Amino acid sequence: MSWAVLFAMAAIIFISRYVFLEPRLPVVLGPRLQRLLTYSAPAVLSAIVAPLIFIDGEQLYLGVQNRYFIGAMAACLLIVVTRNTLITVLISMGLFFFVL
Amino acid sequence: MKMLGFIMQSSESNNKYVSLMRGALAVFPLALAVVPWGILAGSYAIEVGLTWLQAQAMSAIVFAGAAQLAALGMLASGIGVMGILLTTTLITSRHLLYSLSLRPSLQTLPTRWRITLGFLLTDEMFAIVMSEKFKSFQSNPWFALGAGGCFYVSWNLATTLGIVLGTSMPELHSVGLDFAIVATFIALIVPSIKTFPVLVCVGVAAYSATVFALVQWQAGLLLSSGLGMLAGYVAECVYKNDGKVVL
Repeated sequence: MSWAVLFAMAAIIFISRYVFLEPRLPVVLGPRLQRLLTYSAPAVLSAIVAPLIFIDGEQLYLGVQNRYFIGAMAACLLIVVTRNTLITVLISMGLFFFVL
Repeated sequence: MKMLGFIMQSSESNNKYVSLMRGALAVFPLALAVVPWGILAGSYAIEVGLTWLQAQAMSAIVFAGAAQLAALGMLASGIGVMGILLTTTLITSRHLLYSLSLRPSLQTLPTRWRITLGFLLTDEMFAIVMSEKFKSFQSNPWFALGAGGCFYVSWNLATTLGIVLGTSMPELHSVGLDFAIVATFIALIVPSIKTFPVLVCVGVAAYSATVFALVQWQAGLLLSSGLGMLAGYVAECVYKNDGKVVL
């Protein structure tokens, strides 16, 4: 990979992260848009994670033999019970790699 | 008066430090879970033929796990520069939503703050800054810097480790490395489901993302995120107006 490609990637990613933080950009967020954006974190995170959990190979798979599905259930239970991110991440990863 | 000024000043600088540490602490579990990915990013880069300096620079200046691994994979299978940059654009487009969401609280900060926090704006930093648990820190740049900075250090140290190890890694899914993402993101999503509209948002986003992934549609991530947000917002409007739809 050339340095030029590396810098181009860095530029594309930085711009996407920075662009709306620039005050000179003439964008005004109305109250409705601001409400809509309060849902951005749960929406994007769910959209990233759901295919990892529910799709095995190229197929939908909701069964006890889908390790991701079972592991995800365990993580849900752990975070609800413990309310602790570190404990949830460590125990569910331990379960996934050594038990399931 | 002098005494009072002194106390106020010291409590302010103390506050900066405390906020920075709180941010670092808040992101710590996620910074830990990303270590295997950082190792992979480093060793895979070497395997694909980058020099060690390029491999480290990739994590240091690109600083985006999903885009880095996708680019390396494409490089390995001989896909050209345009393909790599297009995929990068597609994968990174979700960050537009993050910077838009943070615009109200960050746009008034000085340039050096905006550039630094923009550079550090990952999924993880965004999730921590937006989380209900740390609401009192939401417009505190030191807290965001602590979270983003801690994650940055962890990602880059893990990459260095991967470069040093340099061994070839087996396929991602077969090792189950991507479960680290599942565990961390669930730990972030579930506590945020405090209201019915958020539940609707999560359900719609998850369902539509799965459908789009099944038909292997690459732009699905952004679209399903948008659908989830819209569903959450509509649910909120309905909820607030006793069932009458007022948008």
